[in-house]
Amino acid sequence: MNRPVSNPGFAPTLLAIALLAAFGAAHAEDAPPPPESSVTVGTSLLSGNDADRALFGQYNGLRTHSATALLGFQYNRRDDEAGTLLRLEGSNLLGSTRELDLRWKKPGDWKFSASYGETLREEPNRASTGADLRLERKKFGVALMKTLGPQWQIDVSLSSENKDGLRLFGIGMNCPSPVAPGCGGTTGAQVGWAVLMLPEPVNANHSQIEARLSYAGDKLFLSAGYYGSFYQNQFGSLSPNVPGSLNNAVGTPLPLSPGLQAILNQPVALPPDNQAHQIDVSGRYSFTPTTHLNFKLSHAQALQHDDFAGAGFTGAPAGVSNLGGRVDTTLAQVGLSARPWAKLSLLAKLRYEDSDDRTPIALYNVEDTATYTNRRLPSTKLRGQLQANYQFSSDYRGTLGAELESIDRGVFTATSAAAGITALRQKTDETTVRAELRRRMNEELSGSLSVARSRRDGSNWLRDNSGTGVTEVTDASDPATGFARGIFMPTLANRQRDTVKLQADWQPSDTVSLQLSAQHGIDRYSTPSVYGVQTSGMDHVEFDASYALSERWSLTGNLSYGTETLRQARPDAAVMAYDNTSSGFGLGVTGKATSTLQVGANLSHLDDRSTYAQALDATADGASAALLAATGGLPDIIFRQTTLRLFGIYTLDKQSDLRLDLGYQRSTWSDWGWGYNGVPFTYSDGTIVGQSIRQSVGFIGLRYAYRWQ
Amino acid sequence: MRLLPALAALFVCLGGLTSPASALTDVEASKACVECHDSDDLPDMSQGPHGEVPKKKPPMDAAALAMRGSPMADATDPRTPNCISCHGASPTHAKKPEGAKERPRPDRTFSKNGGTAAHERSEVCQTCHQRDAKQALWGGSQHESADVACSSCHKVHTNRDKAMVKATQTEVCYTCHKEQRAQLQRPSHHPIPEGKMTCSDCHAVHGSAGPKLALRDSTNATCYSCHAEKRGPFVHAHEPVTEDCASCHNPHGTTVASMLKARAPILCQQCHTPHVAGGVGAVGGQRGVFPPGVPGQGGSAIGPVTGGKNVVNIWQGRSCTNCHTQVHGSNNPSVSNPTPQLLFR
Repeated sequence: MNRPVSNPGFAPTLLAIALLAAFGAAHAEDAPPPPESSVTVGTSLLSGNDADRALFGQYNGLRTHSATALLGFQYNRRDDEAGTLLRLEGSNLLGSTRELDLRWKKPGDWKFSASYGETLREEPNRASTGADLRLERKKFGVALMKTLGPQWQIDVSLSSENKDGLRLFGIGMNCPSPVAPGCGGTTGAQVGWAVLMLPEPVNANHSQIEARLSYAGDKLFLSAGYYGSFYQNQFGSLSPNVPGSLNNAVGTPLPLSPGLQAILNQPVALPPDNQAHQIDVSGRYSFTPTTHLNFKLSHAQALQHDDFAGAGFTGAPAGVSNLGGRVDTTLAQVGLSARPWAKLSLLAKLRYEDSDDRTPIALYNVEDTATYTNRRLPSTKLRGQLQANYQFSSDYRGTLGAELESIDRGVFTATSAAAGITALRQKTDETTVRAELRRRMNEELSGSLSVARSRRDGSNWLRDNSGTGVTEVTDASDPATGFARGIFMPTLANRQRDTVKLQADWQPSDTVSLQLSAQHGIDRYSTPSVYGVQTSGMDHVEFDASYALSERWSLTGNLSYGTETLRQARPDAAVMAYDNTSSGFGLGVTGKATSTLQVGANLSHLDDRSTYAQALDATADGASAALLAATGGLPDIIFRQTTLRLFGIYTLDKQSDLRLDLGYQRSTWSDWGWGYNGVPFTYSDGTIVGQSIRQSVGFIGLRYAYRWQ
Repeated sequence: MRLLPALAALFVCLGGLTSPASALTDVEASKACVECHDSDDLPDMSQGPHGEVPKKKPPMDAAALAMRGSPMADATDPRTPNCISCHGASPTHAKKPEGAKERPRPDRTFSKNGGTAAHERSEVCQTCHQRDAKQALWGGSQHESADVACSSCHKVHTNRDKAMVKATQTEVCYTCHKEQRAQLQRPSHHPIPEGKMTCSDCHAVHGSAGPKLALRDSTNATCYSCHAEKRGPFVHAHEPVTEDCASCHNPHGTTVASMLKARAPILCQQCHTPHVAGGVGAVGGQRGVFPPGVPGQGGSAIGPVTGGKNVVNIWQGRSCTNCHTQVHGSNNPSVSNPTPQLLFR
């Protein structure tokens, strides 16, 4: 009889313990389950027609379809031996916004991704000509990351996007015009102006490449990269074919004056091919564990050499075949952050950006005896920032900060001309100070209050010479300048900006969470005249809440209210006040009705009203007064939208479930842009554009998901 | 012969003690954590980058098993995180001191009001993640300065970090940026509510050399990454376009087409001297715009011989851009009248 040999002292128990000590718990446990994959199939039905779905179907590809099929999948695989993960995902594969995404990686070693995506943008307005106003983007991209040892890493990405379709566009000309000699007609017998809807054809490719090499040492992180952008447009220009007869202002067809017809038939520029290249070095250096410096240096070139003749243009300045556009941008930014004491943190940042416009100058404008060139638009921006945070106690934290921004737009190109403006400014300087106090009342309640004020002024105004060049005005109050009736750009005018922000978080229990956010801001402008923008302001209040009714059910809600205001005055006509008021709410509930049924609902509503109120000033003429009295002013623009979404997910078994989605969206957009009170805005050839004021769409979707491992 | 297995076991034991000591120590110590923080506390995160299965074992063990040999999530790699590496050894939390009323918190907690400062929370994550070039400018960025920590946006104990998924990322951002949530509900918006874009398509949330954490070095450079046709340079440029797209557009949404901040001509006339004709806003369909005029008006605003710069053509349709179509710049080189300098063609 054979008896098994045993050694109770060591085998196998002691050996197992030893192995456990050697390799840790990892090898002693069971391997985790393989990652999950899934496939989803389904269908959705939508109510209404193309007009009902104008807003709903702006981006989702459902505008023109009453029924769609759904197909998506997610495939995940893990190779335990190789240590790699693979993920392949597809969504909306049968629709017009399909996406495919591949991610394959060995974490910490390499990562590869490839993606394909389609985006569709349907113009909500339809044209009576039947032009299909939609833009479709198809983008393919690949990216690779590879670590080169413990300290080096290289990243490369490439993408190529094609954009096709038609965009809402047009041309127009009014006669007589001092800039359009020969453009005119016989009053009452010929049309002397025209506005035409002319869809812009789009067929362009945009390719981008980015490559980056990074080094990560103990204290130094350094990264050097290249970015390239290559835009190619298949269409250089658009050549209208304007008929010899168009409607006058009240819709009566009349012959078109030959001068106007010739002008309207001139080619219209479409976006030219362009390129941009950028090289940069960025990084971070840690002097100590609490003192860090980061920086970025970059140099970029924007180039535009699209051939004029190839684009369909004639009449370029002699000897000039393309613009030769070139703008060199140099950026240097350095930031220092330090925590000298546990309670104090400091930040200093300096940013310099210089855009050097090296585009050649040529006589692109010959208007009888008036000739002038194109204009260069250089700029130099310098921005400095200082900030200190101090933790007064565990409950109080304060912040003080200051910023200075200086912009120099360079010397005005003396051979060029400004048009349609009162004056320019070469330099502006803006100083901002801000303070913030945060307080933690207790573990449940905390909040912050911040205030900021910024003041901007600048160099003397440069008056438009109504010809070439500009003239510096040293005394803006001199009546001879004509500034008293001028309009000065809000982007250049002296400005004082004040903002106040309040935020509060309250979590009174594990089941309730409340958040409040409020913001007030006002800009006050100061210019040599009383016209133009005088003030603009905004107020926003938002409130969020969530409540866990039970372990199975939860509620969420939000309220928002905001206003935006603009006060501007215009000589010879009216004071214009723009007021926008927007309020909305959202309510959501999700829960598990049974162990196999999950349900949810979401209701959201937005009410947005824009009011353009006018009050005539003393200089208004009689016709303006009569028109304002007759019309009562511009109608308000109102946008309201209510959306209800319901869903239910029923678990069939451990591997599959059914999801049912129900939804309803109702929109009202009374906007007089394309028509009002049944009277459409009508182009000179009778074309009208617009969408339904009231739109409503219901939708139902059913999908089946199957998962496996 | 019996001595041989004993020596072998001793050798293996010593080997265990001399292998990456701190990692194994932390892994072992982490086992104590999951004695209390079991699957009820720790949701399934086995599919996430910090993988874990809700069993009674340290969170990183499963991932380590799954990806043997890979630097990440390998228990033999000292970079592999576990409970201790993020939350600290936390001896008083693991064993409540005698006399203490409540169990002290772990050394580091990642909830907003957990007592661990934001920079301390972020430093834990940066121990591994600071090698990412996208985070080179994190120090001093708007988020860092505002005490936003990695854990303010990212969740580790989950299979699906909302911040990392395009369809759900906005939920994370809206937690603080509620104004943008309201703006994106307006009809003229980027396809963010539809899930075709997300915040990080335009914003580099971990630091940027651009304003408002723009993805590239300026607002315009960021916009050009999708709207390259606007880059130019053009023969006839439009200065504010070259300076800042946000002069006219609010990319988060408005009730004006093309996400304009206000309706033309009001927007345009903030800078430009207006055409006097049509200075008073009125639209076709209102009384007195088309014939007949109303009493006191002396004739309607629009008549058979009314020119193009009339109240309707200036305020309706595409407004100013009915004629000045090339507001982003024109590359038309024609020197003949009317030249495209006024951005007509």
